[in-house]
Amino acid sequence: MKNHHLIHLYNRVGFGILPKEVQKLNKLSTEENVKLLFKKSKKRKSIKVDVSSIEKVGLSIEDKNERRKLQQKENRRLLNDLNVKWFDQLYTSKTLLHDKMRLFWANHFVCSSNSTIQTIEYLSVIEKHALGNFKDFVVAISKNPMMIRYLNNQQNKKEHPNENYARELMELFTLGVGNYTEKDIKESARAFTGWFSSKNGFTFKSKFHDFESKTFLGKTGDFDGTDIINIILEQEQCSLFISEKIYKEFVNPKPNQKHIKKMAKVFRKNYEIADLMKFVLTADWFYDDENIGVKIKSPVELLVSIHNVIPYEFKRERYFQYLQFNLGQKLLYPPNVAGWPGDKQWIDANTIMLRLKLASSIAQQKQIELEPESAFEDDFETINKRKKNKAYFIFTTLDWQAFDHKTIGTKNKDWQDALLGTKLNKQTQEIINPLINNSTKDFCIAIMSIPEYQMC
Amino acid sequence: MKRRDFIINSSLASGMLFVPSFLQAFEKIPKNKLGHKKLVVIQLSGGNDGLNTIVPYTNDIYYKKRPKIAISKNDLLRLNGEMGIPSYMSPLKNLYDKGYLSIINNVGYPNPVRSHFRSADIWQTATDANEYKSTGWIGDYIDVNKLDSHMAIDVDNKLSLALKGKDKSGIAAFDAKLLYRNSNDPFFKKVLNKHHLDEHLNEENLGYLYKQMIQAESSASYIYQKSKTYKSGTKYNSNSFEKQLATTATFINSHLETKVYYVSMGGFDTHVGQNNKHKRLMTVLSNGLENFVNDLKANDTFKDTLIMVFSEFGRRVEENAGMGTDHGAANNLFLLTENLKKPGIYNNTPNLADLDKNGDVKYDVDFRQVYSTVLEKWLEADPKKILGKSFENLNFI
Repeated sequence: MKNHHLIHLYNRVGFGILPKEVQKLNKLSTEENVKLLFKKSKKRKSIKVDVSSIEKVGLSIEDKNERRKLQQKENRRLLNDLNVKWFDQLYTSKTLLHDKMRLFWANHFVCSSNSTIQTIEYLSVIEKHALGNFKDFVVAISKNPMMIRYLNNQQNKKEHPNENYARELMELFTLGVGNYTEKDIKESARAFTGWFSSKNGFTFKSKFHDFESKTFLGKTGDFDGTDIINIILEQEQCSLFISEKIYKEFVNPKPNQKHIKKMAKVFRKNYEIADLMKFVLTADWFYDDENIGVKIKSPVELLVSIHNVIPYEFKRERYFQYLQFNLGQKLLYPPNVAGWPGDKQWIDANTIMLRLKLASSIAQQKQIELEPESAFEDDFETINKRKKNKAYFIFTTLDWQAFDHKTIGTKNKDWQDALLGTKLNKQTQEIINPLINNSTKDFCIAIMSIPEYQMC
Repeated sequence: MKRRDFIINSSLASGMLFVPSFLQAFEKIPKNKLGHKKLVVIQLSGGNDGLNTIVPYTNDIYYKKRPKIAISKNDLLRLNGEMGIPSYMSPLKNLYDKGYLSIINNVGYPNPVRSHFRSADIWQTATDANEYKSTGWIGDYIDVNKLDSHMAIDVDNKLSLALKGKDKSGIAAFDAKLLYRNSNDPFFKKVLNKHHLDEHLNEENLGYLYKQMIQAESSASYIYQKSKTYKSGTKYNSNSFEKQLATTATFINSHLETKVYYVSMGGFDTHVGQNNKHKRLMTVLSNGLENFVNDLKANDTFKDTLIMVFSEFGRRVEENAGMGTDHGAANNLFLLTENLKKPGIYNNTPNLADLDKNGDVKYDVDFRQVYSTVLEKWLEADPKKILGKSFENLNFI
């Protein structure tokens, strides 16, 4: 496999690749490399934290409100832990394809909660189906307690249907806006009545379910939620909608309808996500020049790709949370049910300055001024104090030994190819040329500070 | 021209900033067509309790529903025959008495959302409750008029959604010097220098990245150079809110061409033990506003500055068991400037006898009517292009 194709593959189904790996994997063909990514992804790992502390917190406190407040605080702490666990998983990932798919689906079936227990359950649904069957996935998501609460299906009762879930199911999860009528929303909302969440998970409350006949997308019957999902998946549009989203994420933010139609045809056969991904990653057009280096890295992709080169650790975990917040993507805290729009929306005058300084600040342990994050629930005094404490982050531990180990038997040019790709324009090359004889360490810091490094 | 001025001007003009050819393609609106008015938006995060801010002291329902937390008549300064303001807010009352304050009641939107995040997003993106947008109304104003980033400043370290546009956005500048230093990094400059004529920058995403870098550099430099010598004569209190206001006043009084400033203050989510908390918040808010207005007045810039104060929602009329209030719906909104058309209470006081099914105040002014009025009458922009549809203008300016 050609080096620049291999680098492209690992930029999209991973967080970049280092020179030594290139030297090892370029001996394999494209098919073999893709096969290897799938094989490795079978040993997936869950993202979990120990939640036993929630029950124990505030047991001695009589006041219900006080206790709830303490539990909320404990939940916030645990969610931050969970966020860090997720990053740890990405830093050390042996299951790149699965990890990338998990990030993708968590930004597709978007959901959030301040309950750690529910969040872990939700993540386990995403994990289980990330490379599985899309139909099973949609059914599982529709029965997920966190989603049921997030999109108000808990309030969806026969007497007063709540349309929120039915609407987003079609608009954001399966068909896209304009491919159904308001009537279809109303009818399908009735089919999801009584799909509730209880302490023990999903529960079907028949007394709130509407068993009458419904007419949905041209079909009539006494449908329940699963029937509705089946009918949705029968629509060609569903396969097109998901294929386009996958294409924009993994191939090119600018959709190519010809390729997307081919993907949809493969996907429609039985809605196996793995089949779709295999098709994309082995397609000739996936490796076309026009698809290489055209995507803006998400903040998560940026942080993990820097970490792959220079393993860093934060002195104070809070600063890592602030950093994610300032970059505009904090895992587990999506902006709304539509998720992070991504691409150009990652970049403004402030984030681009922060992004470009990031690698050198990490490597040189320099301070960066960050906006401390505040919750709506925080009081003024807390916010005030946090703003007064200069919110910078300092990276204490840098594992240069690990870095040195990675550089054995490599040349600076190899690092340039791996980190920036091989099709740099003349001007960028002119900036890099005088640096090529520097130590690999300095050279890498410099090339990670070039705007092209923001792309993948 | 003094020599020092000359150096600054020429370094601004030449420096590294040859305007790249691809940027010249943007057809900018001539600046003098935008007028010279400034808008300062102040967001109160958490949901301010409007009913304990502007109190309907003749309304029995208010006192009945809030037996523990209502502000008693004796603790109020009267605004008119129906509404009063807590005495600890006397600085704001001073501004009211001078005719600098207009209070619009019952501002909200259809199908109100009671989640902080969603409702704040709805206000910032100016959308309907069931619509999701990734650009803000001020960002859209910048984008539609193809303005430079420094034309809308978020006085913060992170750009808020309100100022994010599709291709062009505002810029966050909490500390002009620091921002300048960051953008002035030698390596950063070197990269930009090399690239300014490169046709590769027409490439979709990479080109966009470079454009944002150029914007960052030129806006940071403009803000810093233009404001660095100004010294305010006004003494501000030392809290984060007044620091933001002092910075805003510095920018305005330095005559930056910036049209919109964005300031935020948090801590308004008063579910428990509201009275003391709210008193502290209102003291900070009203002192801050008075200092800010005085600073602007001393520099004769208040007449061209409109201040708008809003919160993502009001709070429930009925108090809760924890001596606090829960998330509500419609709320009052403040407008401050020198020549208001209708100073005082702008419209009907909240109708506490006709609440929605949650027990919250119903809206009768859509917040986008306020935006539309400000955009058209103050910023001389086309509200329809920015808000996506037409709203009936109000008559406060």
